[in-house]
Amino acid sequence: MNGAALDQVFRAASGRIIGALAARFRDLDLAEDAFSESCVRLLQAWPADSAPGDAASWLYRVAERIALDSLRRQRTRERLVLNDSYLEPAGEKVMADDRYIIPDERLRLIFICCHPAVAADARAALTLRLVCGLTVAEIARAFLVTEPTLAQRLVRAKRKIANAGVPFELPRPELWPERMEAILSTLEVTYAKAHEDAAGSGPHASFAAEVLHLTRLLTELLPSSADTHALAALVRYAEARRPARVDDDGMMIPLSDQDPARWRRDLIDEAGGFFARASELGADSPRVLQAALQGAWCARRCLEDPAPWSQVLGLYDRLLVVRDDPVVRLNRAVAVAHVVGDNEALAEIASLDAIRLASFPPFQAVRAELCARSGRMAEARAAYEALLALNPSAAERLWLWRKLRAFPG
Amino acid sequence: MKYALLIYENEAFYGPDETGPEMQEIVRRHMAFSQELGAKCIGGAGLKATTTATTVRMSGDASTVHDGPFAEVKEQLGGFYLIEAADLDEAIAIAKKVPMLQDGLIEVRPMLGG
Repeated sequence: MNGAALDQVFRAASGRIIGALAARFRDLDLAEDAFSESCVRLLQAWPADSAPGDAASWLYRVAERIALDSLRRQRTRERLVLNDSYLEPAGEKVMADDRYIIPDERLRLIFICCHPAVAADARAALTLRLVCGLTVAEIARAFLVTEPTLAQRLVRAKRKIANAGVPFELPRPELWPERMEAILSTLEVTYAKAHEDAAGSGPHASFAAEVLHLTRLLTELLPSSADTHALAALVRYAEARRPARVDDDGMMIPLSDQDPARWRRDLIDEAGGFFARASELGADSPRVLQAALQGAWCARRCLEDPAPWSQVLGLYDRLLVVRDDPVVRLNRAVAVAHVVGDNEALAEIASLDAIRLASFPPFQAVRAELCARSGRMAEARAAYEALLALNPSAAERLWLWRKLRAFPG
Repeated sequence: MKYALLIYENEAFYGPDETGPEMQEIVRRHMAFSQELGAKCIGGAGLKATTTATTVRMSGDASTVHDGPFAEVKEQLGGFYLIEAADLDEAIAIAKKVPMLQDGLIEVRPMLGG
């Protein structure tokens, strides 16, 4: 197994192993450190190309031993009485079928990372680090902060969990509805971060699969939650479009221009199943409406199929009623342009606060498109340039340069 | 684990002393609540209004004494419970049941040595 594949293994194993260790030992730092150390030892024991086939099981066994050793040293220092059974590795589990060696405590880990006692700006970072195995550097980049800042955030969050006594159990079922909102928005942010950066490239593939898997687990945990099913649908619709999001040169392709033939039908069908259940449970929740919007686009089979602008406008009308914010208004305006007319669309966004939104990329993006459509070229160009100045992704940058090249001079 | 539940409410609501009907009602409810907590309650007290407070501020070796509470805020510390709870979730569940007659907040703080 080569370096990149091993990296993949570490990421994929992170959530399961840290979750299992944290559940067993009630200590996030211990779990995280033991897992990191086990990765180091694997690399030392097996130089590249020869790592064991089931590296995850090896990592788990080693990490568990490392954690136990660490605890024994700690207990000896503190002169506490050792409870032998507590400190022995789980015997039969080691003999069992490899797949079941690592108990799946990822859900528990997510509830812990998203506990209301954890600072809101740390929940997504902690989830990405512990459950999805992203490095501190990757997470810091995604959230546009420095590595030390992000590292501090993680340290503080783990300290809070330890000091305040956040339990290492799944919360009682009565609490799940109130805890779900924090988890769902954390997963949304988490997926969006991976989605932004990835042009289908390797490092994020298993991580996106992780989020998809977790959203499915959550629907099993909460079969009557509209939002949970809607989120499961949303991430699948988004993931389905990944193969079509950039062209061969790495340039971004906007949703309405993507070739549906490149989308993953299997994921769209899965999404459709979750969406159907979600709309039975709560047709007018913002997340369900967002899933409906994605579903409308993903119903296209090929580029010759007309774009569903009327349906999209109708859905944005409904979404605006339950969530009136600039993002909804901006996206709705684009639909208005296609269904009603460019002037009406421009009128829609004229009411938005241009000063406050000047550094908000969707604002400039929509303005640029609407101005270009109405022949207001100088304004369109200014908006595209403003977008460039806002430090977009490489894929988006390529697309913006292409747009700007179309302007004279 | 041991936690302190710090109760913040707008004290003006309760009137100038212990004789007002709101104060009598809340005291009644707190007594019932303490009973309900039983052994989980390891301490607590209601505090007289911040108009009775005196603040001693320490700076290095010097100390100064001022009239009034630490801070002028919309809600004031009116009382507290010290409780024994299995974990933060249990402490939060108990905090949600602390009697209040108006909007306010409860700060949940783990105790040292708990």
